[in-house]
Amino acid sequence: MKTNEKGSKPKNEKASKPEEIIRVEELSKSFGEHQVLRKIDFSVKKGDVICILGSSGSGKSTLLRCINQLETQTYGKIYFEGKELGKTQKEINRYRSRVGMVFQSFNLFNNMTVLKNCMAGTRKVLHLSKEEAHDRAIAHLKSVGMAPFINAYPAQLSGGQKQRVAIARGLCMNPDVLLFDEPTSALDPEMVGEVLNVMKSLAKTGLTMLIVTHEMGFAHDVSSRVLFMDKGYIVEDAPPEKFFTNPDSGRVKEFLSRYIQKDKENGDE
Amino acid sequence: MENTPTNMFEWIWLIATQYSQLFIEGTIITLIISFAGTITGFIVGFIVGIVEDSKITPSDPLPQKILTRCFKIIFKIYIEVFRDTPMIVQAMIVYFGIRQIGIQIDPISAGILVTMLNTGAYMAETVRGGIKSIDIGQREGALAMGMSPIGAMIHIVLPQAFKNIIPEMANMFLTNLKMTSVLNVIGVKELFLQAKTAGGTYYKYFESYLVIAAIYFVLCFLFNRIFLLIEKKMAGKKDYVLAVEYMENNE
Ligand SMILES: Nc1ncnc2c1ncn2[C@@H]1O[C@H](COP(=O)(O)OP(=O)(O)OP(=O)(O)O)[C@@H](O)[C@H]1O
Ligand SMILES: [Mg+2]
Repeated sequence: MKTNEKGSKPKNEKASKPEEIIRVEELSKSFGEHQVLRKIDFSVKKGDVICILGSSGSGKSTLLRCINQLETQTYGKIYFEGKELGKTQKEINRYRSRVGMVFQSFNLFNNMTVLKNCMAGTRKVLHLSKEEAHDRAIAHLKSVGMAPFINAYPAQLSGGQKQRVAIARGLCMNPDVLLFDEPTSALDPEMVGEVLNVMKSLAKTGLTMLIVTHEMGFAHDVSSRVLFMDKGYIVEDAPPEKFFTNPDSGRVKEFLSRYIQKDKENGDE
Repeated sequence: MENTPTNMFEWIWLIATQYSQLFIEGTIITLIISFAGTITGFIVGFIVGIVEDSKITPSDPLPQKILTRCFKIIFKIYIEVFRDTPMIVQAMIVYFGIRQIGIQIDPISAGILVTMLNTGAYMAETVRGGIKSIDIGQREGALAMGMSPIGAMIHIVLPQAFKNIIPEMANMFLTNLKMTSVLNVIGVKELFLQAKTAGGTYYKYFESYLVIAAIYFVLCFLFNRIFLLIEKKMAGKKDYVLAVEYMENNE
């Protein structure tokens, strides 16, 4: 389906290496005296599915919000497709239209139906025609199983349904990267599965995703890399096999053992 | 006058019929000023409220920062002044002030202007409260997909804030409808002044004011019902129609 519409020639001869989409250099963020991110370095390649784990308050949300520029970093740089992010509002808007975000609290537009939610970005930001925006919205709503609900308002949906709509809304922009901030944390347990399944199938399509999550099983099965954050640092950046069996960081070992213990108490699996 | 009225009710009837022209004219002027003043006042209130609510971020260009700051200060003074002085005094000052600087403003325009400024000062706070009441996530959801801050305001936040402040707007309109009566001091021929004129011929002020009391009451009562109806309509439907054409039968 996807043709090389921009007609850009592949710049690198080493075709085996996928392109880098996002690179973060020495990214730091403070709120007043409180330093939340401390010189974060990492990069995201096309097709990567990166899960970000870490305890509460370690700065995971702040990292995603900096990447989407909902927060401005106090120090450090973010590169998108090799270019440093522009500072003007226009440049930021353009960049954001290509790097979508799915929130823990859904943030669906309450004044719009499901269909309008999915057409808002394509109409107001990408300026697609009504028909095109509509068709795109329907296609993506179908893919998350929410097409029958196009006339519903967010308040009329369950949490899992809202989050699936929010994902469809993000997909309608045809983003290069989709950021997820704990997409299942606000859901009732029986609804977590439906959202994770949608995300799993997205991962298979090759969409680049950055996912903050507490779902270990999901991180293990789906991610190409797992990052672990602690007190504003990335203390582990490893493929899932290594991360879950043989991590370098003591913090990760501690975290995993606590998780396994909790899992046993809950009698899961 | 072939037969002079003998009791209060006959007097009321006589005044109401004999001066019906005056009362109709007064009603129309009262309504015009209330509507025009309230609607323009809302617009002022929205602009002031939005500017008041806007934040100056370090990344803004310097001229924008200075401009925003200036407007914020001006608007703050405006709100304070208009909320802390009576409308009757505002009317006098605005009307005679404008005439003093050589602009021949007519009483009705001056009346609309005063009502607008008064409404704006009150609505600014209401708008600000309305915007604040909308979850920050709504704005962030819009920004995160690349909408401009102004676009997010116009397409997402304001429509929701608007819905929340409709009751307050209806309230403001009814208040204005009654407050136009003070505009008689600058010679606006609204209901109150007309009643004064009508009552003056026979020295039957009491009866004359009873007539306009009834008119004010009926107007307010009617508009109140209309607004309630609109609010109900705006509250939206409880149900939605499933788009069966997109249903899959694999559940
Ligand atoms: N806008 C803000 N102003 C001040 N402090 C903030 C702000 N946002 C976040 N913080 C602080 O930054 C720290 C990291 O927050 P962040 O939300 O990034 O953590 P997190 O890893 O996402 O945690 P959780 O798992 O609970 O979501 C916290 O201590 C928080 O109090
Ligand atoms: Mg968080």
